[in-house]
Amino acid sequence: MGYSAHELLLLFIYGIAGLLGGLTLLIVGNKGWRETRERLNRRRRTVLEPDIFKYIGGKGPEPIRGHMPRPRTRRDLRLTEEILLDASRLVKGGASARITGAFESLGSVSDAVRALGSRRWWKRAEAAEHLGLMRSKQAVESLAVAMNDPISEVRIRSARALGLIRGSTSIRPLVGALADPSRWSAIRVAEILISVGAEAVDELLRAYDTLPHHAKISTLDVLGRIRSHRGADLMRRSVRDAHPDIRARAAHAMGLIGDPGFVDDLVTALGDPEWAVRAMAAKALGRIGGGKAVPRLCEAITDRQWWVRANAGEALRGLGPAGREALIKMLDADDTYARHQAVTQLQEGRIIDEYIADLASPDPGKRAAAISFVEKIISLERVDHLTHEAIEHTQEGVRRTLLDILGQSPKGAS
Amino acid sequence: MGGTPERILVVDDDAVVRRFVGALLADRGYEVHEAGDGEEAIRLAAPLQPRLILLDLVMPLMDGYAVLGGLKGDPATRKIPVMILSMRDREEDVVKGLDLGAEDYMTKPFGARELLARIRKILDRTW
Repeated sequence: MGYSAHELLLLFIYGIAGLLGGLTLLIVGNKGWRETRERLNRRRRTVLEPDIFKYIGGKGPEPIRGHMPRPRTRRDLRLTEEILLDASRLVKGGASARITGAFESLGSVSDAVRALGSRRWWKRAEAAEHLGLMRSKQAVESLAVAMNDPISEVRIRSARALGLIRGSTSIRPLVGALADPSRWSAIRVAEILISVGAEAVDELLRAYDTLPHHAKISTLDVLGRIRSHRGADLMRRSVRDAHPDIRARAAHAMGLIGDPGFVDDLVTALGDPEWAVRAMAAKALGRIGGGKAVPRLCEAITDRQWWVRANAGEALRGLGPAGREALIKMLDADDTYARHQAVTQLQEGRIIDEYIADLASPDPGKRAAAISFVEKIISLERVDHLTHEAIEHTQEGVRRTLLDILGQSPKGAS
Repeated sequence: MGGTPERILVVDDDAVVRRFVGALLADRGYEVHEAGDGEEAIRLAAPLQPRLILLDLVMPLMDGYAVLGGLKGDPATRKIPVMILSMRDREEDVVKGLDLGAEDYMTKPFGARELLARIRKILDRTW
């Protein structure tokens, strides 16, 4: 029995329509089923939550199982894990320890450790993330192994998990990762170690001498950003290291730590043959503060390297009245670069603005000092800001005086 | 605590936070009310007159600072102590919150017992 072309076309169209209709029904049915399941889960979750939250906020030794309804279904167990994972993002301290205890007793840690061996990389990545939230020391060894996973997402989540678990056994593989730039981004590992904070310091100090050059640099950065004074001896030693980049990083880290006891070492580092070390030492001295460094920073502002001059100038600006006086004196320096750097810093520190405002002061002494100061700035051919203020300043008296001074000065008029 | 439970309003756009903190407080005998956004918090505060408002900073539409400003600017809610509970841990955020009139500032993740102790302290010293 043969079909005409028209019948075949109709059959084809009906077939396609039937297929599309079937697919639509399947999608709608699946969506409906999923939504129903989620709604039921949400409802069940609201039943389970109060008792689980009570367990987390409690003090007693009772296990999590005592807070779960009987009989315990797989769904209840899954929802309990979900609730505990959500809560683990919110709490720390005793409540966090109770959540870890709950995960361990429910077998969730063992399950997640098993999932770290999954053939699907996203399952391994999810397991690593969950293990971090579970914060169980039972997972440390497996996570350390997962840090060698071929997929970078799994490696980084494992590293983050170890950072969350803390303790020296967790931190050791992270410090080791700093030494392996082929598999790890030093910045990401450093960020994890910084988030661990003071707990990472001892392990970093212990490993420092065994680390390769680039990892030593990262370690100094991490120690600086953690701001632990326990690294002070290492910093003092490193700022005299044979490698200039180690010396520069150590100087930078000293500034971040901010210990006034570093001032003498940093003043010495201002005389380093490498400009990067001198620049970092100047910056660090600005961060630490104290007037003791002012004379050497005044010398550094005449340095042949721009970065050293800029950092020394910024440091002086941050050193309060002593630094301010030093910058004003620098306006008379023999060195052109030093004079210009002093103007820049006085402008950025709004000290020039203070003098400009004094141009309209009722106190003749202040007015005279302001005129003399402004004339000095004009003589250095740095008139952009003064010209701007001569037009835009809110006080008419200031604008008029500034215009007069600028008009009288051949440099200002030009 | 006396016979009448002390009323606390928990303001957070994250329902898990509201429910978790609410459960902690309810377990200690407080009467807990929840608001999922800043506007709801301001709307509820005056009629409820809670003994304390626990306020998140990062919320859609109206952030915690705006809510705090609104509460402190309204004579009906000005005296209600506010404790900020936020993910933001920068010094400037803490200072801004305290300057705007918050009684205390705590960052997430928080210690459950520490939170309860701070709440108790605020309730003891206010009103």
